[in-house]
Amino acid sequence: MKFTFRVSPNYRDSISTGRIMRELTIGLLVIYAFALYYYFTSYGTSYGIHALLLMVTSLSVAFATEIAWALFLKKDLRSFLKGSYPWVTAIILTLMVPITMTYYALGIGTLFALLFGKLLFGGFGQNIFNPAAVGRAIILASFAGAAAADITTSATPTTAMEQVGWMITKPELATKFLAQFGGLGNLLVGFYPGSLGETSKILILVVGVVLALRHVLDWKVPAIYIGSVFVFASMIAVIKGMGAWYPIFHLATGGLMFGAFFMATDPVTNPTSASGRVIFALGCAILTVLIRVKANLPEGVLYAILIMNMLTPMIERLTEGWQIKLAKKYTIAFVSLFLVGSLSIGATTFAMSYKAPAEEAKPTVTLGVPVLIFGDDTALSPAEVTSSVAEGDVVTITVSSKGYAMLESEYDENPKPNILIVKIDTVKKTIVSVAFSEFHDTKNIGDKTNSTTYLDQFTGLSITDPTASVDTVTGATFSSVSVARAVRAAIDSVVGK
Amino acid sequence: MPLWIGPMRKHINGQKELTHHNEIIRIDAGKYVYIPLMNGFSTNIEVLVSEGDHVKVGTLVAKRNDNLIVPMFSSVSGVVTGKQTMMHAILKPIEHLVIENDGKYEFEQSFAPIDYKKASREELVDFMMNAGIVGCGGAGFPSYIKYKNPTGIHTLIINAVECEPYITADFRHIELSMDDLILGTKAMLKMSNAKKALIAIKSNKKELIVKLKTALAGSPEIQVAEVPDVYPMGWERTLVFELTKKRYDRLPSEVGVVCNNATTAIAFAEALRLGKPLVEKIITISGDGIKNPANVSVPVGVKTSEIVEKLGGYTADEVLVIAGGPMMGKTIPNDSFVVTPYGNAVTILKTQKINDVACLRCGRCNDTCPAGLLPVRINNAEKANDIETLEKLRSDQCIECGLCSYVCPSKLDVTEGVRRAKRLMQLRAKK
Repeated sequence: MKFTFRVSPNYRDSISTGRIMRELTIGLLVIYAFALYYYFTSYGTSYGIHALLLMVTSLSVAFATEIAWALFLKKDLRSFLKGSYPWVTAIILTLMVPITMTYYALGIGTLFALLFGKLLFGGFGQNIFNPAAVGRAIILASFAGAAAADITTSATPTTAMEQVGWMITKPELATKFLAQFGGLGNLLVGFYPGSLGETSKILILVVGVVLALRHVLDWKVPAIYIGSVFVFASMIAVIKGMGAWYPIFHLATGGLMFGAFFMATDPVTNPTSASGRVIFALGCAILTVLIRVKANLPEGVLYAILIMNMLTPMIERLTEGWQIKLAKKYTIAFVSLFLVGSLSIGATTFAMSYKAPAEEAKPTVTLGVPVLIFGDDTALSPAEVTSSVAEGDVVTITVSSKGYAMLESEYDENPKPNILIVKIDTVKKTIVSVAFSEFHDTKNIGDKTNSTTYLDQFTGLSITDPTASVDTVTGATFSSVSVARAVRAAIDSVVGK
Repeated sequence: MPLWIGPMRKHINGQKELTHHNEIIRIDAGKYVYIPLMNGFSTNIEVLVSEGDHVKVGTLVAKRNDNLIVPMFSSVSGVVTGKQTMMHAILKPIEHLVIENDGKYEFEQSFAPIDYKKASREELVDFMMNAGIVGCGGAGFPSYIKYKNPTGIHTLIINAVECEPYITADFRHIELSMDDLILGTKAMLKMSNAKKALIAIKSNKKELIVKLKTALAGSPEIQVAEVPDVYPMGWERTLVFELTKKRYDRLPSEVGVVCNNATTAIAFAEALRLGKPLVEKIITISGDGIKNPANVSVPVGVKTSEIVEKLGGYTADEVLVIAGGPMMGKTIPNDSFVVTPYGNAVTILKTQKINDVACLRCGRCNDTCPAGLLPVRINNAEKANDIETLEKLRSDQCIECGLCSYVCPSKLDVTEGVRRAKRLMQLRAKK
């Protein structure tokens, strides 16, 4: 018979850190499943697979980093990984990046998140900053261009809002603005491209509430965070005379919901006392709103959480003591912070104004060297006439002409010819008009030829004059010549060679 | 302020079904009984009998004689054979008075019974002192002190909460002795000068509440107060706050309340009626480490090993024997400690390995600490030997209820860290 000695209590709750992390993982995967469904169904298999591989990349890098670290420190691999939870960071980070993210940037972000965000601080439980937030900040700062030009190059709701100065007072403009994202309703449901896991606010809310009820995360943090953002945004709306859509827009866009439920609640990096967490959440809310409406960043959640992570030790000191005796102190701290927040946000509203979205600037076109329509330049790589329709005196000819992209450039993997429509009056023997129907040449350079300044030169030119010439667009000679080539081909098709 | 501070309590699985409805088994004393010569933390006990003296059940054998007076009585009839130092339920070796049991259980009235209705308040307080009535909730604090100068007391709280897991002894005792509970409560009410008494019972004990309410039909001054099934609802501060919404600094009398345990009231009633002190206890022997968990009625001074044997022995080769419930009870590295007047359970659990991981700073301990302390901060300050912070964190206010370790998802011994902090502060204070 052996009597074991163990210090009391000898009775433990069934909840464990392992279970908390397991349930959090399941919650995050539910959100990820929604993202996969959206990209597979709305953008097709290749995007869906990209979303899948992004997760695989991040998870692989996360595990590789931790395994290397464990081997480096000569720790038992199994128990180290079991108590370090690298996959949680990887999943959160992947859910924060857009579908256009490159594997390379996400991989580097994951490496930094775990190595510099967590392991170097001493591992799980010792890190100051939320590791996933560190990774996202690294990607934002170092790989701004890592998002390839793609479907989501159309502005996200927060970027679009940033461009108008986070303020739209005219109701009709607001409606028009929201309509481009399918309205507030769609912003809440989440069927629009954005960060993989951040779009569906409703799903995040449902998963978050379930996890809060299961004591995986503390409900106070998201409640105070989201609630305070709503209050501050309402304040701006009232001051500036905007409708109820405005505070809802603040909740329905960006990373607020995701950040409030899954990053601000990270127990390792927020204060340990209830009062501390409440103050932490309020601080996050103030910074989020301030960064959104005033800083040169479209979204404030990430930096708000990182800054508050940094202030956590201070909040801990502030709330230290015998809790039941400090209710008054806690109240004063919370109310003061709320007032400071309200005042600073109220003050910034004076500096807020609606910025009308800038009209797209037209490239200035200057004309230079002339090109002979029937000269040597147009003889090379002749254009092809694809159709010809006569209507009275005027023949409309469609011509496919190889432009700069096809002849010289390596910038495009699949270069296509430009398609032009040339109209010729066969009786007067003159050119009526030249226009592009499809333009595939270099942006910002070749497209200068797609302007009336250049194309109008052709109007009225005689098709029988062998010396007929137009001036090429400076800096876009190849494209200009390709147009002349198309015109030559058109003329040839009418008069016969 | 639920936003600034956590709930300061938690529902925990009570495991009460193991012994809730079992019959109470009467267990006779073996050849010897051992009366612990200790009360509270005082071992300043005067032994009033000598070796070879013949004693009966109820014979006064010893008395605590310092600032407090607590008489102690023999629980069997037989012959005093001397003193022996043994492990006690507080995990310290102390002296016990050894009495050889003749098995006859001859009884002599330790004192004359009195009618509480006729006796004056002061007479009742003296009676309580001489009857050796101590708090049966575990502390063993002499009850008469609470009634000596009851100024401004408006409510007497009878604590029938029994919030420790596994323990059902109080519950069964109340079921059996409802009339004594009411009699004791009425006498205490008179002693306290309070206007009303509240019997606090967990709201999930529906049947008992109905029975008690029926029994209390003619006593409007006594009410049943249902309290939630959370731990540590039976702690005086938690209970007083639940019932009055007031917090006090040192004693509940500051907010006009006096508290006593339900089994203390029953013991007091038995003393009043029969002139019989507390020499026999109903205690719960439960847990997954004992073959037949049960409530047993057993004389004070009987060794745990004897009780375990009668209940079919242990279920495993390695067990934890805990004097009390698994939350606050101390693990005793043997099973020869004895039943005391103030103990109410022995919990026997199979030894299980606890795998701890790093603290994730979740703050569950801070949110549930019933004393409103910050256990994780205390642990960190203790590791850093930071006395100044420990003082600020009021580690001295910890009652070691064990809830911080219970809720810890990383399975750390948080309570033990706070204990170390308390010791560190005590050492520093002595210097």
